[in-house]
Amino acid sequence: MRLHRIWGVVLRYNYLFKHSLDRQVDAFYWPTVDLVLWGVTSSYIASQGGSVNQLLLMVVSGIVLWTILYRGQYEFTVNILEEVWNKNLINMFVSPLKLSEWVAAFSLLGLSKAIVSSGFAALMALFLYKAHIFAHGFLLLPFLFLLLMTGWCVGLVVGGLILRYGTRVQIFAWGMVSIIAPFSAVYYPLSALPNWAQKVAVIIPSSYVFEGSREVITSGILDWHKVIIALSLNVFYLALATAFFKSSFKKVLDRGLVKFK
Amino acid sequence: MAILEAKNLSKRFGKFQAVDDVSLSLKEGEILGLLGPNGAGKTTTIQMLLGILTPTAGEVFYFGKSLSDYREEILEQVNFSSTYTNLPWDLTVRECLSFVSYLYDIDDRQGRIKKIADLFRLDQILGKNIMDLSAGQITRVNVAKSFINFPKVLLLDEPTASLDPDVADYIRKFLLEDRQKFNTSIIFTSHNMAEVEEVCDRVIFINHGRIVADDTPENLANTIQTSHVQLLSLKNLEAIAGYCTKLNLDHKLEGKRITITIREKQIAGLLQDLSGQNLSYEEISIEKPTLEDFFLEQSKKGSLR
Repeated sequence: MRLHRIWGVVLRYNYLFKHSLDRQVDAFYWPTVDLVLWGVTSSYIASQGGSVNQLLLMVVSGIVLWTILYRGQYEFTVNILEEVWNKNLINMFVSPLKLSEWVAAFSLLGLSKAIVSSGFAALMALFLYKAHIFAHGFLLLPFLFLLLMTGWCVGLVVGGLILRYGTRVQIFAWGMVSIIAPFSAVYYPLSALPNWAQKVAVIIPSSYVFEGSREVITSGILDWHKVIIALSLNVFYLALATAFFKSSFKKVLDRGLVKFK
Repeated sequence: MAILEAKNLSKRFGKFQAVDDVSLSLKEGEILGLLGPNGAGKTTTIQMLLGILTPTAGEVFYFGKSLSDYREEILEQVNFSSTYTNLPWDLTVRECLSFVSYLYDIDDRQGRIKKIADLFRLDQILGKNIMDLSAGQITRVNVAKSFINFPKVLLLDEPTASLDPDVADYIRKFLLEDRQKFNTSIIFTSHNMAEVEEVCDRVIFINHGRIVADDTPENLANTIQTSHVQLLSLKNLEAIAGYCTKLNLDHKLEGKRITITIREKQIAGLLQDLSGQNLSYEEISIEKPTLEDFFLEQSKKGSLR
C-alpha cells in the first residue's frame, strides 16, 4: 500500500464534500434534527412519569453513537455511488491505485467523518440537553471503534452490491444500515425487544456495543466481555464483507469498467 | 523490444465474442492507430490493455512484464484518456489534476500541475468546476490528465473528438513533439482518418473483434485500387453523368461537379473517351485512395459478413 495514493483518494472525496451541500447536510443537519426531535419527544414522555435524565440520555446517546456507525458505512457506499454517477472509476483504476488502497481511503474517511459528525452531535446534545455522553470519555473509546468497524462491514457489503448491480440498488447506500438498527437496541435496552428479535441481536455486534455504551454512560463501568464478543463478531463479518467486496470488484472487471453503470 | 505486447487476447460476453484472438505489439516511440467501425472491439481491446477488463483468454505485457503480475509498477508508467469517460463533475480542474497526481509517484506535484496547465492552456480554467466547462475544454483536461505522470505508454481513445480544429491540431502536434522528445509510445483511436494518417506510424484495423489489417497508413490506402476523379463542368455535367451511367461507373453529382470512382488504371481511358465524345470540362482533380477509402471498404466488407 502506498500512502500517497490513499491520500489521493481521500483528497478526491474531501474536495467533493467541500462542494456538495448534500454531503454537508448529511453530516451535520440530520444528526441535529434527530437530536431535537427525539430529544424533545423523550423529555416529554419521561416527564409523564419516569426518570427524565435516564431516558433522555439513552435516546440522545443512541443518536450520537448511531452517527458513528452510519458515517462508517456512508463513506463507502455513497462515495462508490459517486464514482458510478460520475463514471470516474476508470480514471481511478487506470492508475496504479489498488483495491486495498481504495478501501483504506474509505475507512479513513469513515473514521474522520465519524469523529467530526458524532463530535458535533455530542456537542449539540450537551448544548441542548446538558447530556454528557462522553463524560466517561476513554471508557467509550473501544465501543466507538467497534461501531466504526460495524459501519465498515455494512459499507463493504452495500458497496459490493452496488458494484454488482450498479445504480439499480443505490437506495441501499442510505437504507440498508437501518436493517440492523432495530436489533442493535439503539434507543432502548435489549430486553425491550421481543424474544425472537433478541435471538437475532445475539449475532449483531452493535447490539453489544449499544448495551455496553449505555452502561458506560450511566454507570461508568466498561464491560470487557461485551467488547470481546462485539470485536470477534466484527472481525468475522469484516473478513466475509471484504471477500464479498473483492469478488464484486472482480465481477466488475469481468464486465469492464467502461460498461459499469 | 516491444514496449507493449498483447498475446492472443479474447473477450467473450455471454454468447457474444467481442474480441477474438487479437495479438498486437507497440514499439518504443511508435504511434499505433487502432481503427475499426463502432462495435468492432477497439474499446474492449483498450480496456484489456489497461487492465480494467479481464480477458477471457490471452495476456498483456508491458516492458516485458505481465500486466496481471506487475500491474502497479506498469500503470505507474502508462496513462489513458478518452473523450467518452467523465471527470468528477463537482471538482474544479485544479482539484481534479491534484487528486490524480497523488495516484502516481510524482516528485513535485504542484510543479507538474502548473506545467501541465501551461502545456494544455488550462490556466484560465483551473479554478472552474468540470461541470461548467465546454465539451472541448473537458476533452483538453482529460488529455492533460493523461500526461501527469510522464507516461512512457499512452492509450488515447479519440483524444481530439469535440475539439475545435485549432486545438485538435495543437494536440496532434503536441503528441508528435512529445514522442520526439521522450520517445513516448502511443495507441491512438480516431474516426478522423486524415488525423490518423498524419499522426500514426502504423495502423491496426479491427472488425468483428479480429485484426483484419496491420500496416502503415500509406500501404493500407494503396491496397485500394480505386481513385476519385472530380470534374468541374459548366455545360456538360448531365451528359458526363449519363455517359458514366452507360459505362456503369460509380459517380456522384454535387453542384457543378461530378465525382467518379474508378480504378486507377482506367482513368486515362475514361478521359480519352470523354474527349472523344466532346464532353469537355473546366477543371479536373484526381484524388489518390486514402485511409478513409480503406476504412470504408473494410467496414463494408465487415457489414456483409
